[in-house]
Amino acid sequence: MFAVAILAVLAALALAVVRALAGPTAFDRLLAVNSIGTSAIMLLALFGFLTDRPEFLDIGITYVLLNMIGTLAVLKFFRYGALGHAQDPERDEALR
Amino acid sequence: MEPVFTMASWAALCLGGFFYVIGAVGLNRMPDLFTRMHAVSVSDTLGVGLLTLGMAIHSGASLITVKLLIVVLVLWTTGAVASHALARAALHDGEKPVLVGADGRLTPTDCVTLFPELGPRLAQPLSSEAVETGADQGDPAAATWIPGRSRSGDTNATASAAAEMGMAAMRINMLGALGLMKMFRIGTMSSARSRGRTRDRGSR
Repeated sequence: MFAVAILAVLAALALAVVRALAGPTAFDRLLAVNSIGTSAIMLLALFGFLTDRPEFLDIGITYVLLNMIGTLAVLKFFRYGALGHAQDPERDEALR
Repeated sequence: MEPVFTMASWAALCLGGFFYVIGAVGLNRMPDLFTRMHAVSVSDTLGVGLLTLGMAIHSGASLITVKLLIVVLVLWTTGAVASHALARAALHDGEKPVLVGADGRLTPTDCVTLFPELGPRLAQPLSSEAVETGADQGDPAAATWIPGRSRSGDTNATASAAAEMGMAAMRINMLGALGLMKMFRIGTMSSARSRGRTRDRGSR
């Protein structure tokens, strides 16, 4: 029965890849990439159960956290054009 | 394992796979970003939840179930935050939702012209960082939107109560997200106010 669920997730993964390639905007691609990340986590968990090695779940937990950080980092990049605070000489002066 | 549990696990896994594929199909079929996000939310909540439920029933009461619970809780929480951030970034970037126009066709529509209060809201910091500004309450369009206080134009009490509950949930989610981002030194999602805060504290 895990094989059925894995097939479903793989199909969803393929569809998400199609959307990631098609775009058209960067946000669509990002949404698709986020969806691919979720699919990867589910695949890891299901594959672990399929092969009777549920230790794969630990890798899945790591993926969950990385997925979220990655998405938010990219979103912040799109909004501000940088990952950190903008270089502001005045502000640096105030900090000193 | 008892046959009842096997059947329940089967049913949850199959239903979860079904909803997962539904979400992915919607991701390809929907006309614009916002409806696509709506479609993906099906697979991110119902699909993931049911798949995890199936696996949890299969493994029974064990450490594996706890790990599954961690995965699904983090996925549900961060899914909401990521959707919120994605929609906000898209609106900031000028992405126009496709709506049904007067001629009955789907046309990209500037939502700031439809909902004028969106304009000031998009320029504001995120709602989790919004503070009381003492904005004039008489004009709902010009007033800053403050969570926890229903606007004067709202007459439907149930709807506003539901909206406030949703906002409370979102604020809890945002707290977790902002904590994580601080931890990784990415900064905050919002610009001006948080910069001021950094300066006040003299972080270095």
